[in-house]
Amino acid sequence: MRGHLLRRLPSALLVLLVASFAAFALLRLVPGDPAAVLAGPDASPETEAAIRDRLGLDASLLSQYVQWLGDLVTGDLGPSYAIGGQTADLIGEAIGATVELTLGALLFVVVLGAAFGIVGATSGNRWLRGTVRILTTGALAVPPFVTGVLLVLLFSVLLGVLPPGGRVPLLAAPDLGVQYLLLPALCLALPSAAVLGRYLKDGIERALGEDYVRTATAAGIAPRRLLWRHALPNALPPVVTLLGMQTGNLLGGAVLVEAIFAWPGLGQLAEQALVRRDYPVVQDLLLLLVTVFVLVQLLTDLVHAWLDPRIRWE
Amino acid sequence: MTTTLTKAAQPLARRPLHPYRAALATARGRTGLALVGLVVLAGLLAPLLSGHGPTDQSALALAGPGTPGHPLGTDDLGRDLLTRLLYGIRADLGIIAVAVPLGAVLGCLFALAAAAHPIADTVVQRTFDLILAFPGLILALAITAVLGPGRLPVIIVIALAEIPVFGRLLRTGILVQSGREYVTAARVGGTSGGRILTRHILPNAADPLVVQFAVSLTVAVFIEGAMSFLGVGVRPPEPTLGAVLSQSMPYLAQAPHFAAGPLVTVTALVLGLSLTAEALNREIRR
Repeated sequence: MRGHLLRRLPSALLVLLVASFAAFALLRLVPGDPAAVLAGPDASPETEAAIRDRLGLDASLLSQYVQWLGDLVTGDLGPSYAIGGQTADLIGEAIGATVELTLGALLFVVVLGAAFGIVGATSGNRWLRGTVRILTTGALAVPPFVTGVLLVLLFSVLLGVLPPGGRVPLLAAPDLGVQYLLLPALCLALPSAAVLGRYLKDGIERALGEDYVRTATAAGIAPRRLLWRHALPNALPPVVTLLGMQTGNLLGGAVLVEAIFAWPGLGQLAEQALVRRDYPVVQDLLLLLVTVFVLVQLLTDLVHAWLDPRIRWE
Repeated sequence: MTTTLTKAAQPLARRPLHPYRAALATARGRTGLALVGLVVLAGLLAPLLSGHGPTDQSALALAGPGTPGHPLGTDDLGRDLLTRLLYGIRADLGIIAVAVPLGAVLGCLFALAAAAHPIADTVVQRTFDLILAFPGLILALAITAVLGPGRLPVIIVIALAEIPVFGRLLRTGILVQSGREYVTAARVGGTSGGRILTRHILPNAADPLVVQFAVSLTVAVFIEGAMSFLGVGVRPPEPTLGAVLSQSMPYLAQAPHFAAGPLVTVTALVLGLSLTAEALNREIRR
């Protein structure tokens, strides 16, 4: 297990290194004097000088890079010039929103995925199975922004039961927060739930075709027990790995869903910082997002290796 | 008696269709092609089908569908929605038609380079890992931050997303085919390495690439729309499918018709492309 980790670690670190270079180069690649760009057109020379000093723009590129990494490690990210407030506070609030959205979506993925898989594989009702098939195919074929608009049209405009966008923190006001969370979480979850459901369906169907199931059936074990105690546990390991990979996808997809539902998370903050040309914030956010993404991938890989010993010896 | 005989004999006498043509002749393939064809045609004929310009404004803001001169109604700035939809399709097609082939060709070139030497293979593989490690939309934000919004960053983001996909697919294809007996036979027969690659391996490794091409066109529609929603897509006021849809979001309650055109069109386009890809995939796998 440790060997496997050691093999995967270098490439993860390489990705982080390249990501940090890319994020760092961003501000320096923008045409013009970075301090003037950040200060805006009406700023006084003093403001520009303060920014120059704060970012160490007069020093060599290498020392700027090292200083930036140091600031990141100590959490001293400085003020946001365009949005206002401290960068660390802005990022902290946005992380809370994105985590809330992703966890809500993950719950939907597990529940809907399990329902799609089990119903699709075992239901005796042809119509029900057909509905599940159409739902999963549709959720995968149609882009999330189409699903999002359809969800808003159905639940907000037509039925008027859920708000079309915005956020009330779940921990501050659970009953209201859930109403705001439902649509974005569902929109984010649907494609992943469809993938999970398909895998689970195939897994259960394959497991039900195995010899030991035939033996168990012959021995008179009830179909329900056969499903829950025999087929399902054997279909589960690859699905768990898939769930990990889909968590990475959820984080990536959250950026888009946040834009559709005006959800004030990391993606929205990145977009806002980008539009207002607040490059230091963009720079910090890019590295943060890639780091989280890489960590989730690494974790998934390790869980996969733990569940399937063959991978460790490859 | 004679008629039944000729009828039965006919399928044997006719040359079998090329698998791609057979795939597109299935119900699935035909439906897919028809949907895609309809959308593409609407985009190509945009100037003929509409009398307005895509950015012409009128005094009629948010007029409903069926308004004289505006069959689909108008948007918040009084622009004709049918015109914006048609020109939006055109813009999307223009982006996709450049970006996906670009990504496919670059990916295949990388795969060919990887096939040439083990060291090149390692470098190419790690490069693909690196591209895939970045979440697509975050990459989109970063690239637009440097280049500024416009068509070019959208094309680059789509192409970048496709390079590792095609590269890995062709690399696997080459590896699988190289191990086959007919390749060994050709090699023993004295055929040169280059000829084996172009005449034997590549034609046999091409099928998955064709299917992937159809899938990638769908992904490109996804990416264009997503970037428009993120505000890093094609620069307004130029319409794209994603841009018109994202502009309709604040007005969904008062003017749902604003979203109808792009919703139906995007769905028809991606469904058509998915059906075509699926039809090709089934026929090739047989």
